[in-house]
Amino acid sequence: MIRTELKRGTAELAILSVLEQQPLHGYEISRRIEHDSGGALRFTLAALYPLLYRMENRGWLRGEWETGDNGRRRRCYKLLPRGRKMLAPLRAEWSDLFRAMRRVARVNHA
Amino acid sequence: MPDWLAYVNGRLGRLSLPEVESAQVREELAAHLEDTYLSLRAQGVSESDAVRLACDQVPSWLELRRDILSAKLEAFMQNRVSQIWIPGLVTLFSAYVLLALMQFAGLRVMISHPGEPRGIVLYLPWMLSLPLIGAIGAYLSRRAQATGWRVYFAASLPALALGVFFLLLFPLAFLIDPQVSLSIKATALAAAIVNWVILPGFALCLGVALQSLRKVREAHS
Repeated sequence: MIRTELKRGTAELAILSVLEQQPLHGYEISRRIEHDSGGALRFTLAALYPLLYRMENRGWLRGEWETGDNGRRRRCYKLLPRGRKMLAPLRAEWSDLFRAMRRVARVNHA
Repeated sequence: MPDWLAYVNGRLGRLSLPEVESAQVREELAAHLEDTYLSLRAQGVSESDAVRLACDQVPSWLELRRDILSAKLEAFMQNRVSQIWIPGLVTLFSAYVLLALMQFAGLRVMISHPGEPRGIVLYLPWMLSLPLIGAIGAYLSRRAQATGWRVYFAASLPALALGVFFLLLFPLAFLIDPQVSLSIKATALAAAIVNWVILPGFALCLGVALQSLRKVREAHS
């Protein structure tokens, strides 16, 4: 349970953070997270979309269909004010967790 | 390049979602697979490996379908409460508190055939207040992004609740008082349904229509 919640929490913060910079469609979200985390975080299709739909239902994001220059339709996700408001407490929560883990596990910054 | 939409349709199976929503989910998943495939091809990965790696994105389609439905149904349940039950209970509570207050205040009722079971009792002031209550219900339901039948259901809940009540009561009436003839009971039931279900339901739906009209006017102004 903790493992699932932890994973979901990480994923939510990662998605909100990349969407804070600009609206992106699903594939771009997964690529951006992978790139920004140096390949440490990877989202497969199976992990990404249920989470995106859940976050959209909570009013954190909104997906809108857009047609690109190549004529392909993609659903672009945009961060909504409610999602933006979630970012600060989520970041604080994660920061506290990392600090606590550093103390407990005696992990030092690289 | 593979037909990714056909691939998703074949693997995902039936999603218990509205058709448009289900089609959008399929299209979005297919687009993701297509982007993955194209990106791999652009990196020089062979056709067969690119297809395989794209397909590896979903270890279990059954699990993915379950997860998507769970995420979508979570919203459905939340929406049902805010779009139907909260506005519905507001209309139900307002309609019957108002009726009780009117009865307490001693407002006269209209009776078409006094003293007879088929007489229709009309609480005219109450009936006149129902369009306003229906409009409030419709406003609350639409504010929660409801459309179509959900708005009408929420707004007409006071009438629907009484309809269910009468239908449940009807069989009991035969058991309780077997001396009274069937035709009298049936007439009384029909009168009660007209008076407490159909007419109030119509008045409440009139409120929904008026609220829609107001919304359309606001949109045009």
